[in-house]
Amino acid sequence: MTKQIELSGVNKYYGAYHALKNINLSIEKGTFVALVGPSGCGKSTLLRSLAGLESISTGDLKIAGELMNKVPPRKRDIAMVFQSYALYPHMTVEQNLTYSLRIRGVAKAEAKKAAEEVAATTGLSHLLGRYPRELSGGQRQRVAMSRAIIRHPKAFLFDEPLSNLDAALRVHMRKEIRTLHDRLHATSVYVTHDQIEAMTMADHVVVMKDGVIEQQGAPLELYDRPANKFVAGFIGSPAMNFVPATVGEDGRSLAVDIGEKQTIALDRQLQPGRKVTAGLRPEHLHFVEPGQGVFRLPVGIVETTGSATYITTSTATEVTVVDTTRRPVGAGDVIDVSIRPADVHIFDAETGLRV
Amino acid sequence: MADAPSSISSRKGVPAAQAPGNPVRDVRGPIKRLYSSVRDGRGFDIVLVAFPLGFLFLMAGLPLLYNVLMSFQEVDMFSLGTLMRPFVGLKNYRDLFAQPETLPILANTAIFVAGSIAGQFLIGFGLALFFWVNFPGASWLRGLFLVSWVMPGLVVGAIWNWILSGDFGVLNFVLREGGVISGNIFWRSDPNYSLYAVILANIWLGTAFNMILLSVGLSAIPADLYEAAELDGANAWQRFWTITLPMMRSTIGAIIALGLIFTLQQFDLFAAITSGGPNNSSNVTQYWAWEQSFRQYDFAKGATISVLMIIFVMIASVVYVRSTRHEVRG
Amino acid sequence: MTETNRNRLMLLIALVMAAIYLFPLYWMYITALKSGSEMFATPPTFWPSVPQWSTYAFVWESRGMGRYLWNSLVIASGAVVLITVLGVGCAYVLARYRNGWVDVGLFLILMLQVLPASLMITPIFVGFSQLGMLDYPRLAVIIAIAAKSMPFFVVLVRATFMAVPMELEEAALVDGNSRVGAFFHIVLPLARNGILVSAILIFMQAFGEFVYSKSIIQDIELQPASVGLNSFMGPNTNEWNNIMAYATIYVTPILAIFVLLQRRIVSGLTSGAIK
Repeated sequence: MTKQIELSGVNKYYGAYHALKNINLSIEKGTFVALVGPSGCGKSTLLRSLAGLESISTGDLKIAGELMNKVPPRKRDIAMVFQSYALYPHMTVEQNLTYSLRIRGVAKAEAKKAAEEVAATTGLSHLLGRYPRELSGGQRQRVAMSRAIIRHPKAFLFDEPLSNLDAALRVHMRKEIRTLHDRLHATSVYVTHDQIEAMTMADHVVVMKDGVIEQQGAPLELYDRPANKFVAGFIGSPAMNFVPATVGEDGRSLAVDIGEKQTIALDRQLQPGRKVTAGLRPEHLHFVEPGQGVFRLPVGIVETTGSATYITTSTATEVTVVDTTRRPVGAGDVIDVSIRPADVHIFDAETGLRV
Repeated sequence: MADAPSSISSRKGVPAAQAPGNPVRDVRGPIKRLYSSVRDGRGFDIVLVAFPLGFLFLMAGLPLLYNVLMSFQEVDMFSLGTLMRPFVGLKNYRDLFAQPETLPILANTAIFVAGSIAGQFLIGFGLALFFWVNFPGASWLRGLFLVSWVMPGLVVGAIWNWILSGDFGVLNFVLREGGVISGNIFWRSDPNYSLYAVILANIWLGTAFNMILLSVGLSAIPADLYEAAELDGANAWQRFWTITLPMMRSTIGAIIALGLIFTLQQFDLFAAITSGGPNNSSNVTQYWAWEQSFRQYDFAKGATISVLMIIFVMIASVVYVRSTRHEVRG
Repeated sequence: MTETNRNRLMLLIALVMAAIYLFPLYWMYITALKSGSEMFATPPTFWPSVPQWSTYAFVWESRGMGRYLWNSLVIASGAVVLITVLGVGCAYVLARYRNGWVDVGLFLILMLQVLPASLMITPIFVGFSQLGMLDYPRLAVIIAIAAKSMPFFVVLVRATFMAVPMELEEAALVDGNSRVGAFFHIVLPLARNGILVSAILIFMQAFGEFVYSKSIIQDIELQPASVGLNSFMGPNTNEWNNIMAYATIYVTPILAIFVLLQRRIVSGLTSGAIK
């Protein structure tokens, strides 16, 4: 497989502010990459650097093997879908779609034909003569997508394109974008702050924080083997429980600092007495008969969504448990839960790195 | 970074730093690099901003400095064509303050400014509050008031000159009929009234502008603040003092500073109504400076008065900029 | 009181206030139609008994108003063109960037905006006479007005540009346009209305400009209508019906433009001055 986008040792400074720190990332042709992280983590800056809207300070940026550091956006042959869609308000849908073609000097008839073809695939055929202000949010989103598709660019860049839509439409568009990607065999880079979007859509997820790539890999890889506490807490919903713990004398058990019965078995050998943080996903904590479990936990708050019930304990370190069996639990009850040794994530107490 | 690719955003408020050790060397020729910078990069902005700023510097900045230079020189009709005229130090300033009419004219200026601003602001605020109650046609009627502001100052002056005429002026007629006065007031030729005649015209001219800006300020106050205050038990009068006025503070500051600036620019009304007379009783500095230069041909004196006034105007404009600062920065 | 009745009452009060406020304008139009004797009648008449429409033609002819208005038009158009060409780009750059340099530039521009024309005319006149610019007096006035009014224009147009989302321009860049192309294709068309309104405001100001024209233009053939009106009004004039006819001819076009475009002009004005 060929590398479509390659970043090596990329840094970006705004004055003294270090926005991107030594970014190394290579994206293979045809993959869907999601950049995800909290706001201010640098994911948008990274995307804008790919587009050429920001210049990188040091390092190399290659698109399809060509060095792009100093190439203006118009010569990079990439398309971008903006969060606000950035549809030209003084142009009709058709003019919006064909704008990039007209700039490149494509003949009028040919551009019109291309617009009609793309509009047919995205369901915009009957809207070609309208102005953006006459469209609904979902339709505008489709125009923005079509405007990118029509060019057959080397890569598609998405800057939180679904954040202005309501929840139902967002779920629907998620699938639509992914389907489109597969059909076009496109290379896509997708920025989002929503880890569910990243997990469901991408082949490859890049988690960023403070200008640094914390971890990258396939979605399940990130879920199963988070490289550090940040990634572990960021991926998965509801978020992973972190509890302070100490490795037991034998090196194969863990003394956890919550509940009554506090020792859990380990599936690996660790240095006895080591201070660690145990990561327990709420969905991995399962109910057992009284006395059979590892933890006895007093219940604090019970929230239900219908499909699942989130139980938060009233222990000093709060723990969340997810139950999907409609077990009758109320505040003040005591529950018995257990976890498989393989599901326990262990992080160094100081560095937060995976052990 | 003349050769950097375009980076039109500097959202973080600081320009992009010159990064150390950039591995990429630009091998294009200097002409080509310049061209591509204008087409794609920062050069475009520099070209756009350089010409107007250069023009403003030549046509507004240099005259300002030249003004200061002339105020230290002896300038007459014969030395008008040269740049290096006899240097007289502070003589022009000393002469100015030795003249008997200087202090009365400065006092007139202060009265003119204070009277005009007070009148424009109070009437303007009253009208703005009235039109704030939204009824059909309110915004259109409100906008109509602004005709007083878009008319040429000289025409406004001519109309008021006629209205204020002593024997046949309609204002005297109305005041007589209303029982306010018994005999005609000679607004333009009575030294006791001539300054107020101009102030009256200036209030008329500036009130609408004040009202429009105050209306904008009023409509920017969120309606739910009033709803909350009403639920808290405040009556209309209390709401005005505890919500409206405090929320309008920066707007009011800006408008008063702006009024000061506009009032000190007012020239046409003096030219059209009293010409500063009789006997300087309605003269103000901005008209006097022009008179010295273009009636007495004493350009040094005119420049000296200008320098003093410009310093004052600049202080006012600093106040204006400060009161709109958060808005200027966006 | 019902909503409708309240609205009617408010409208009535507003109309009365507008009538009082705009009385000077009414008085100008009425006086222009009065005869020489009616004008000085006591008590004054508030409606002309026999409208003297011929006054307009008489004033137009005897004062040479065609020439004056033409000169005003030349000066105002020249100033607007010069200001627009120079000011639009400046306003755009000041709208796009947020940093210390832009703050300094904005501050200087605001400073220049406040300098009174009657105080700046002394150095400008002396400087122009040294440069020989007084031989082209109308051009000299155009340049002086441009320098005086451009800051105001820049402040107004900057507000317009700030309302154009930056993403649109970035989208155009990604779509394959250069900075120059994106500026002319996307940003300018979207800011067109605001620029037009600001240009009209500048035009109205320049059309009535007096100080610079009075001081710089000595040749009566080249003077604008404001200077003509000034020389019409001698110290002891009694031709008030003729002067008001002159004023009517002079301001009616400006008032017509204003009333037609009132909404846009008011909103354009307020966006720049305070907001």
